[in-house]
Amino acid sequence: MRAALALLSPIMLTVAVPFANRVEPRVFGFPFLLVWIVVWVAAAPLFLYGVYRLEPRREP
Amino acid sequence: MSHETVALAITGAILLGTVVFALYSVRRIKMDPTQYIVGGRSFGTLFLWILLAGEVYTSFTFLGAAGWAYGKGAPAFYILAYGTIGYIISYFYLPEVCRIGKEKHLLTSPDFFQARYGSKVLTTGVAVLQFLLIIPYVTLQLTGVQIVLSIAGYGHYDATVAVAAAFALIVIFTFTAGLHGAAWASIVKDALVLGAVIFAGVVLPLHFFGSFGTLFDRVLAASPHWLTLSAGSTPLGMNWFISTVLLTSIGFYMGPHSIAAVYSARDGDTIRRNAIFLPFYQIVLLLVFLAGFTALVVTPGLKGAAADQSFLLVVQRYYPAWVLGIIGGAGCLAALLPASAQLLGASSVFAKNVLGEVRWTRAFVIVIAAGAFVMWLFWNKTLVDLLLLYYNGVTQFTPAFIFGIYWKRASAWAIGSGIAAGEIVAFYLWHHSIQIWGVNPGFLALLVNLAVCVTVVWAEGASACATLA
Repeated sequence: MRAALALLSPIMLTVAVPFANRVEPRVFGFPFLLVWIVVWVAAAPLFLYGVYRLEPRREP
Repeated sequence: MSHETVALAITGAILLGTVVFALYSVRRIKMDPTQYIVGGRSFGTLFLWILLAGEVYTSFTFLGAAGWAYGKGAPAFYILAYGTIGYIISYFYLPEVCRIGKEKHLLTSPDFFQARYGSKVLTTGVAVLQFLLIIPYVTLQLTGVQIVLSIAGYGHYDATVAVAAAFALIVIFTFTAGLHGAAWASIVKDALVLGAVIFAGVVLPLHFFGSFGTLFDRVLAASPHWLTLSAGSTPLGMNWFISTVLLTSIGFYMGPHSIAAVYSARDGDTIRRNAIFLPFYQIVLLLVFLAGFTALVVTPGLKGAAADQSFLLVVQRYYPAWVLGIIGGAGCLAALLPASAQLLGASSVFAKNVLGEVRWTRAFVIVIAAGAFVMWLFWNKTLVDLLLLYYNGVTQFTPAFIFGIYWKRASAWAIGSGIAAGEIVAFYLWHHSIQIWGVNPGFLALLVNLAVCVTVVWAEGASACATLA
């Protein structure tokens, strides 16, 4: 689960990029490729926070 | 008063004010090597965040990102992606590096090699390599300052003297205040740069086009393929994009200055929280792209390295001198603070791991800075080429850290041969400008590095078994 959360953004920002490599559909006027990259960059902190919360409890 | 006097006076006041603020903030700290090089391992989450944002986002993150958007288009987006993945990777292994650093009192990146692999030859070799790779990066920051100062001077004077003055100020500052100083000064730098980037990426496009949609319509009307990547193995095409994002994210923290920042964290959790929050700062780069695209439509026709000046020239042409002065101040700090951290990294590595005298670190800040400045004056062009080697070169150290933590059998021989093979391949491909299938040459070098490293570990295991039998 933690690995999946951590790997999602890196996969979407590397090997999945060929599938997002187009201008249309535009989102608020932004080209699709740029939107795709920005969305996965912005999502990364949320996923990583999930990983952080799922860490086995460390001794204080 | 003339334009350039106003702009340069404001830029100068910002630089001086930041240095004075930072020096005042650190006045009570007694500078032993641990305080000086790694900030006494005392930085909490917010302070470390400020320091890292201060040293990771250099003038060339900004000038370069805008310049790439202006001169190359969609390939620029790699800059947005690689930092993000770099933070995610760092979340998993840097807390361990920080913990080991604390436990074994490490100060520099090569110290980690000594502590984990126990080989003096490996440690010294890595130290020399890191030193050689970081120096072109320091001089690149000088080029950043030069671009900013000559535009703030409206091209009416030779910026070399001003660059020398600004650099001298930052060198004296680094000598006095060490890593604590860099972190305090980063508070001003991060805030100013954020303001400048919001201006350049939001105010500029809306002023000229009314909406971002119109901006992209105009870009696409001029060149329909500007906002997408070209196919597979073409230069700066898809293969290049993916391999470059992987390479640079894997090598993201491998500069000696970045490892020093990792040691400066209070504990591993501080690093984890930073890895979570730093990608938010990446979004700022989106605004820089918008500034670059705006410049492309408003002032087209800049070629090559001149593209890096694109959005500053728009500000210079269409806005009052005081706006340019503030943005110039932000730009100079964005160059000089990373230079300060890099100088500190270079001099601590050289003094501690090459010469074996950590107490010479402070003196070497001055010596190395002077050397870097002279190199910059005379071999500017060569240095820009050398910089292409930086990421390709430093990324070869990553396996040493990750295997060092998670793979017991990784030995000095295996890591050393891997690094040597990786660096030789990286240098060879760079020297002959060879590209294979459009893949980033540093990425190929990393694959060779890993293959050699794993093979040597396997061979050692086999020979150990043979001896036992």
